[in-house]
Parts: sequence; structure tokens; C-alpha cells
Amino acid sequence: MIKNWVGFYTLSSREIMRFFSVWRQTIIPGIVTTLLYIFVFGVALENRITEIGGVSYKIYILPGLLMMNVITNATANSASSMLQMKLLQTLPELLITPLSSLELSLSFIIGGTIRGFVNGVLILFICWLAGMPILNLPLTLLFIFLVAWSFSSLGLFVGQLSDSWDQLALIQNFVITPFSFLGGIFYSIKMLPAWAMTLSQVNPIYYAISALREATLGVSDASLITSSIFLIIFTITTTVIAVQLMATGKKIRF
Amino acid sequence: MNNNLAIKIINLFKSYENVHAVNGIDLEIKKGEFYGLLGPNGAGKSTTINSITSLVKPSKGSIEIFGKNIEDNFRFARSKVGIAQQEVSQDWFFPVEQLLYFQAGFYGVLRKDAKERIEYLLNKLGLSKHRSKKMRELSGGMKRRLQIAKALVHDPDIIILDEPTAGVDVELRHDLWTYLQELHSEGKTILLTTHYIDEAELLCERVGIIDKGKLIVEDSVNNLKKMVKNSSIEIQLKDELENKPQFLNDYEHHIEDKKINIIIDKPNMELPSIILKFSEKAIKIEDIHIPQTSLEDVFLDLTGRKIND
Repeated sequence: MIKNWVGFYTLSSREIMRFFSVWRQTIIPGIVTTLLYIFVFGVALENRITEIGGVSYKIYILPGLLMMNVITNATANSASSMLQMKLLQTLPELLITPLSSLELSLSFIIGGTIRGFVNGVLILFICWLAGMPILNLPLTLLFIFLVAWSFSSLGLFVGQLSDSWDQLALIQNFVITPFSFLGGIFYSIKMLPAWAMTLSQVNPIYYAISALREATLGVSDASLITSSIFLIIFTITTTVIAVQLMATGKKIRF
Repeated sequence: MNNNLAIKIINLFKSYENVHAVNGIDLEIKKGEFYGLLGPNGAGKSTTINSITSLVKPSKGSIEIFGKNIEDNFRFARSKVGIAQQEVSQDWFFPVEQLLYFQAGFYGVLRKDAKERIEYLLNKLGLSKHRSKKMRELSGGMKRRLQIAKALVHDPDIIILDEPTAGVDVELRHDLWTYLQELHSEGKTILLTTHYIDEAELLCERVGIIDKGKLIVEDSVNNLKKMVKNSSIEIQLKDELENKPQFLNDYEHHIEDKKINIIIDKPNMELPSIILKFSEKAIKIEDIHIPQTSLEDVFLDLTGRKIND
């Protein structure tokens, strides 16, 4: 239960203000990268892959690009904030305060969620300008929020266990990025061999992209119900894991 | 339950793999007391105080703050304690004033309620001119001041300072000493860890000497000094001795040119009889000096080592 509401609000605000204070590093790159993807992949490959599921290739890849950005930003925010506090010795000043592990975890998760969500909404706007339809806006925003929350939780988990930036980069480069690419950003998984299709079905990013594609374009590999259930379970699981790890004090209390 | 206690540590143990950082410490600090934990680096001082603030998870034992267990009543315990860590923290993002508002907020203090306290601390600790600066723009001394301001921002009843004057200049050290004495006079309980002898002697009402994870002795500074067995009398002679007088063999002593150092338990009491013995042998004395016993001597006496070895 949250009891120290002022402390919880203060830490959540700090986490949000932290990434806004360096918006050139936390907001702009995602937008630029997405624009580059749209131009390079969309324009270059559009002539070779005309459409998937009745949608032009340039438009088909946009929900995936958006989700990739949400995932990267949400994960990076909570992971880097936690690790940075550990390395700069500010974490002990936080851990001695009357904030419970639940209040601490949720504040970090909220910081990452807001960063992921803000990036997601900005890119959604760019995608809309690029011609992407948004069939169901509330559902679209809900999926962006859920995915930002779950990956922010995952980021916090990783950040707490990491001792260096190298370890954090390893997770980003060898787990998040490959899973993002294998989640069907640039293709339908129906275009994959059978073994890769099976593998995709346990990849949470596949369901994140599928859900958003359904909410925006009305096409997807997985059904909306399946994606929604998977995302809700994934969000609950990652949140519980992050809160539990914080409660153990592993790598932060000695 | 003793209602007069601010901190009570019961049979505290902390091991890291095969290293026993704290090895069975029992400690009681009264409300309003200025207590010093003195010991060399690695003695277990920081581990002990970090256990009080839950940064360290004890392997065994328990800790109470104002009679309440710190695990069962963590919000109460943490809200009562303010700690300035030995290691100065860094923050890349926010200015000094904002950092203080954040720290107050973490303790549940609303922004409007924290304003007056923050203004007071900024002025008191000489940070007013630096309130808009980020930490990387501050000198080492200013960072230390900010560290202490953060520890005090929620106006805690117990203030724990882990080596607060380590690596700071003389001026800041003296400023801090004055401020700590002021806080003590306001009734705050202060626990100070230090390996500076003069700091502990000047500030602390009681001192605990900690070595190899054990509290080997604790008492008032004066009582601790009285425990030292090997005090001495330094006698400077007018002329060098031609023959060593027989009575000197009754004492442990060292002779170096015209200087005689007599090792003795109670130098003040023995001094008149020693002077008489020199006088009877017509040995002229030019100067007599009884070196003041310090806590360094106490530590040396108890452990056979110097505190800063």
C-alpha cells in the first residue's frame, strides 16, 4: 500500500523532470530515428513489398516502429536512472527515506512509462501525418501505455541488477533490440519459417506490435484478444518482478 | 523498554562472505547525547551506522530507534533519522535548491512546509549563493555542505554523520563543529563517526572505540583518558647526567641526552616525589612536562596500534 504519498509524488516527479531536463537526449533521438526508418525502409522497400494484409508497406511498418521506440525509451529510462543513482551515490540518499519498496519501484516505473508514452504519442502524431490511420485512438493509447509500463518495469529490474553501463548495454543490444526486430516490425510473422513463427509467439514484443497494428490499421498476426491478454499478463508479471526485486534490496542494500 | 534511548543496537553482526565487518556490537545512545564512534578505517563504523539506516542488512541482531524496531517501523525510524554519508553524492540534473526540495519530499514534507527550513539551511550552511547551481559547479566543500543540508532538511531528531569532515578544509571543519554543537544544544541526538581524535574529543560527550568490528570500550572522553596506563613525565635536565641515579631504576624510563622520559601510571600524583628525589641527588631540573593523554593513547593502549596507521 502506498502511504507516503508526498514522497511517492516527489520521486515520480523527479523521474519525469529528469528525462524532460535532457529532452535532446530522451525525446528528439526517437523522433529522428523513426523518421529515418520511415524514409529508408518505407520508401526504399515500398517498391519491392507493395503491401501486407492489404496495407501499404510504408504504413504497415509504422506501428512496429512506434512500439520499438516506446519499448526502447521506457526500458532505458528506468534502467539508466536506477544505475545512474547507484553509480553517483544518490541512491543511498533515497533508500534511507521513509519510502517503501513499492513506492520506490512504482515511482521509477512511472518515470519510464511517461517517457515511453510521450515518445509514443509524438511518434503516433508523426505516423498520422505520414498517412497512418488510427482506427481506435483510445485503444491505441492504452496499448502504448501498457507496453511503456511493462518495459519500464523490466528496465528497473535490469537497472537494479546492473553494476555498469556495459551490462546495461548488453541487455539493450542483445535482448531488447533483437526481440524488437524479431517481433515483426518490418514484416508479418506469417512470412517467417515455422520455427521462427513459433519463437515469435513467446516474444512479448510481437504481441505489443500486433496489438497496436490492430488498433491503428485493423490488421495483425495475433488476434486483438490474444494480444491484449498477453500484454496484460506481461505487464502484471514485470511489475510484480520489479517490485519484488526492490523489496529484496539485491545490489542496492548490502 | 528504556524511554530515554534514541538508538539501541542489540548484538549486531554483519558478515560479507568470510569478512566480519561488525562482530557483535551492543550500543545504547541516549536522547540528546553527542556520541562519537572512533576507530580506524575498516573498523566497522560505517557498517554500523548504515545498519541503523537500513542501507546494510544485518546478518544478526536488531536495532531500535526511540524504542521501536527499525524493520517493523521503518517509516517511523527513517523519518526520525537524518544521515550524511561519508561518500559525497552527485547529481547531474538538478540545482541545489531543487535537490533539497526533493529530499524533503521523499520524507513526506510538503513543498510549502519545506520552504522555510530550506531557506534556513541554505543560509546556515553558506549555500544561498549557490542555490541555482548544479552539483558539478560546486567545490568539494560546498558539496559536503549540501550533503549535510540534505541530512537535516526534514529536521530529524537523530543526526548521523559519517566522517563529515573527511577531506574538508580547516575553515569548513570549524564551521561544522560550531554548527553541530549548536544542534546538540537544541537537543538533537548526534552520532558521529570519525577517525579524527581532536574532533571526537572536542564534540562528543561519550565515545565508543570500535576496532575489528567490535566495540572495545565506551565512556566519556575524560574517563577513557584515565584508563591509559602508560602516561609519562618528561624531565629536561640542566646538565647531562654523569651517573644515572639509582632511584631511576624503580621506574620504566628512557634517557636521551639531557631529557628523561619516565613512564608512570599516575604522573600528577607521582610528580612531587620524583622532583624530591632529583633534588636530593642535587640534579638540576630545567623543565618538566606531563604530556596530555589523548584518545589516540587510549586506542594505542587498548589495541597496540595507532588509530590512523
